Amino acid sequence: MTDETRTGMQAMVRKSLLGTIALALGVLLGQTAASAQMSHQHASEAACDETVLRCASKVTPAFGPDGTLWLTWMAGGQISVASSKDAGRSFSNPVQVTREKLNLDWGPDARPKIVVEKNGGIALAFAIFRDKAFNGQALYTRSADGGRSFAALRPLTSNNESQRFEALGLDADGSVFAAWLDKRNRVPAKESGRKYDGAGLFFASSKDGGATYTEARLATDNTCECCRLGLAFAGPGRPVIVFRNIFEGGVRDHAIMTFSDLASPGDVRRVSRDDWQIAACPHHGPSLSISATGTYHVAWFTNGKARKGLFYARSQDEGRTFSDPLPIGRSDRNPARPYVLAGPRGTTMVWKEFDGEKTTVNVMTSRDDGKSWSKPSVVATTSDTSDHPLLVSDGQKTYLSWMTKADGYRLLPIGDES
Amino acid sequence: MRRHLLAAIFFAVFLAPAPGSEKPSQLKPFVRGSWQELLRSHAGRPTLVHFWGVTCGPCKVELPLLGKFMKEHANIDVVTISADLVPDLPGATRGMLEKSGLWPAENWIFSDGFVERLRFEIDPAWQGDIPRTLLIARDGTVTTIEGSAEIPDLEQWSAQQFAAK
Repeated sequence: MTDETRTGMQAMVRKSLLGTIALALGVLLGQTAASAQMSHQHASEAACDETVLRCASKVTPAFGPDGTLWLTWMAGGQISVASSKDAGRSFSNPVQVTREKLNLDWGPDARPKIVVEKNGGIALAFAIFRDKAFNGQALYTRSADGGRSFAALRPLTSNNESQRFEALGLDADGSVFAAWLDKRNRVPAKESGRKYDGAGLFFASSKDGGATYTEARLATDNTCECCRLGLAFAGPGRPVIVFRNIFEGGVRDHAIMTFSDLASPGDVRRVSRDDWQIAACPHHGPSLSISATGTYHVAWFTNGKARKGLFYARSQDEGRTFSDPLPIGRSDRNPARPYVLAGPRGTTMVWKEFDGEKTTVNVMTSRDDGKSWSKPSVVATTSDTSDHPLLVSDGQKTYLSWMTKADGYRLLPIGDES
Repeated sequence: MRRHLLAAIFFAVFLAPAPGSEKPSQLKPFVRGSWQELLRSHAGRPTLVHFWGVTCGPCKVELPLLGKFMKEHANIDVVTISADLVPDLPGATRGMLEKSGLWPAENWIFSDGFVERLRFEIDPAWQGDIPRTLLIARDGTVTTIEGSAEIPDLEQWSAQQFAAK
């Protein structure tokens, strides 16, 4: 008997037991009901417990230079990779990147990251919870043989304080740039009796396609510790990161930083004055894309005093100034999880809405570099839990990449209708 | 199956000892409909409902303060709801509640992977940021505190509940 079937049978036994006890002894049930419910699939974000794509809770796409779609996903406690030559209709046999069962970071904004290099190399990164206090560790690996095998996992940094929400980007010369949130500076703060808020934004880079990374360095300290980062390139050697910062007074508004090269962080510039003063984990990070014209496109969530909901703004001066925030989506449908991507044929934005029963992915497009946008339309719907909607481009078309529990993985071309 | 479970939860809620009593508590699965059950079972009693999660840094700081608050305010029903996305961590959840002195409270844990739906039943505008505290007065008036609550604010609210009697 495999572990899976044994667990399944135990769950069934618990369930039928529960039924019997429920009828006879309703009073004593709380604990039994709780454990049976925990083991029930209903409680899970995933449709099943195996490592296959259908059971994934988070799926991240990337197109290779030859038009091959690569996916990495979290399923069954493992990270796997597969590719598709026919835009997601069929996939290669998955290759499992992790071997031992790890406590993968399941935070709402966590997901494995993937970049596919020009020479076919594949760099991956993801985070795990490494202890019972949920301290994170960012790990990476690389495939040098076109995704057939992956090197042993290595930590992005040798420091042992908590790291989460890593982001990977591919520079024009093939360098890999990594950024993440890192709690190491809370140690000296604590030792000297100082309060330490949030986490540091750290970075490193790799000149060998993600086989080894430089020593970790601090870009800016005391940023919000629980939201994904947005990462894009303003030009060769110039990564840009958008992140939820902690401004004066505990205000968790968004900031952007343009590096002058892979080793030189720039100034912290504010994207918007939303005035969201909150000592909490919003679990809801921003999205960044930079078009060929150099325009920065940023989408984010806030619940600030100045504005609440999803917003979009653009900058044509490398983040020094931004346009007035444009509200996105229907405010009565809880718009969430925005993602923006500037492609060769326009800029696309997707986000989720929820009407109390169904989640929809909504899209709008811009033909003028974000100055004006089409009316939103619904591109996909699901009736159970789902991953964040992501956009991915093969250099020509833009696709929605969306994992859903009820309907599996979807890759949908975003139409040209607007 | 689902009906049995709901029945079980129904019984558990209605026959549970008054929150804050000596009897050891349990971790209740928070599913669709739980919110309305919870509101019904505390109707007419000042109730503090605290949403938190095991990976949330600010929550770790706030929980022991709430544990102390509960100990000093036996006349307030204290309810905690672990609102993290993945519910398979009853051990860690219980551990943190015990450490904070909140285990004797009425403790729930999100047990439906479709968290948007659970959150929608509680507050359609809530996007999942935690910690979050709802103060429910005897007349059902809800005061929402986003982020970590300030204990003096809780003290003030608590005093108002009984001053108004």
